[in-house]
Amino acid sequence: MKEQEAKAVNGHQLVLYVERADASYGPVQTGSYLAQEFIDDFFEKRERYRLDCLRRLEAGEFSAVWYYLQILGLAEADLAVRVGVGRRAVRRHLTPAGFGEIDLKLAARYAEVFGVPVANLFQVIAAQDGRVELRQERTANPLLTKTRVGVVASGTADAGAEAGR
Amino acid sequence: MTVPFTHKMAAHCESGAVTALLRNAGMDVTESLVFGVSGALFFGYLSIPMLPFPTIALRNKPGRIRLKTPKRLGVSMQTLTFRDPAAATRELDEVIARGIPVGAQVDYFYMDYLPEYTRAHFNAHYVIVTGKKDGRYLISDTYFPTPASVDAATMQTARFARGQFAPKGLLFWPASIPERPDFKAAVRQGIKDAVFYMVKLPVPFFGVRGIRFFARKVQEWPKLTRDLDHLSHEVMMIAVILEERGTGGGGFRYLYATFLQEAAQILGDPEIADVAKAMMDNGDRWRDVSIAAARMGKRRDLGPQKLRELGAMILERADAEQEIFRRLGRLVK
Repeated sequence: MKEQEAKAVNGHQLVLYVERADASYGPVQTGSYLAQEFIDDFFEKRERYRLDCLRRLEAGEFSAVWYYLQILGLAEADLAVRVGVGRRAVRRHLTPAGFGEIDLKLAARYAEVFGVPVANLFQVIAAQDGRVELRQERTANPLLTKTRVGVVASGTADAGAEAGR
Repeated sequence: MTVPFTHKMAAHCESGAVTALLRNAGMDVTESLVFGVSGALFFGYLSIPMLPFPTIALRNKPGRIRLKTPKRLGVSMQTLTFRDPAAATRELDEVIARGIPVGAQVDYFYMDYLPEYTRAHFNAHYVIVTGKKDGRYLISDTYFPTPASVDAATMQTARFARGQFAPKGLLFWPASIPERPDFKAAVRQGIKDAVFYMVKLPVPFFGVRGIRFFARKVQEWPKLTRDLDHLSHEVMMIAVILEERGTGGGGFRYLYATFLQEAAQILGDPEIADVAKAMMDNGDRWRDVSIAAARMGKRRDLGPQKLRELGAMILERADAEQEIFRRLGRLVK
């Protein structure tokens, strides 16, 4: 790739290897062409799928373990190893009834893999108004999460006002 | 405690981290040389239970660059793994307190300075820890434009993630650098490895055979997806994997072309420089595959005919790479 073809201007920076004007090859730091041209479509698809999964979670078809498994794009086998249980156990925990059998310690392990507070396995926090901003913070207590609710200056009514993604 | 260290982005986390550590220790190497010497260039079509969907691998097994390159260049690398997270944290603190920037293997997902949309569980991400301040580790991550930091608890979680390629708290840093590394032998061995993995390995889903396998299998992806959005996502991921996931573009082929250009100089063989040109052109054609996949995905133009066309483009890469690697094999025999 010629150096001038590699240039894209955006915040998603990466390093590409290119052919320079003097025919030597080497690295150049630039913006991401894919992020520039295709990221909106990625976000739209992801949000559509997330909302569909959330609907099914709320309808009681599946558990929060299933929800996070879907939106993080993990395989059941991978999740099982990461959490330290068998695949059959993970499959059981994908249902509300099976999930209801797990203890707090296991819930905390799932939450750690999903990168969310334990509390988010049991709740969906949704704001009524797009101007409301929710932020969840860790505390020194591993089982306690602080959720801060604020009002953003120039709010956008997006799904950001929802904790537990 | 902050260790003096020059942060610089690189194409790939492992080759970037190893390069930065070697350079910091006084060895004049480039990322492309480090990558090429390890023989990391690869192709694999992976469809395994640990993955939610089939994917392609464009480099060899994680850890190979960290192990092979120092060995081939005569560098003595100090490497530690741990069972106890508390001991791993103590050791990390001690090493940086001695003023040594230290490589660490982590789960990419927990590196919370990276854009949220890029974060996924991958246990073989490599960063360099350059200090600790106010309970946060200072991080030089070659995927991030500036020095970053993560809190100590998150770092411990990232170092002890379970699963495939579990980091086990891995730390590494160069203990000693040779005065006159044998670059010629190292380059030759690196090329031989890549040739072996690309054209000699008798496995149908690895190397050039793997590219052909991928060209066929991609046409069957509609059967594996839940809907058009999902198919679109997976087809577009081909572009992300080839161009964005630490490859330097064109599925590591541009990076490898750069290595071959350096190899031609080191070995004094102008024919290898010719192969470097062919590899650069091959990278361009892989980028065409990426752009075609991304456009097809965005337009939801994913009918059998379009997937056949994509398969045909991929098949052409198999033919080209077969020729390139056979030629390289003859040159380093």
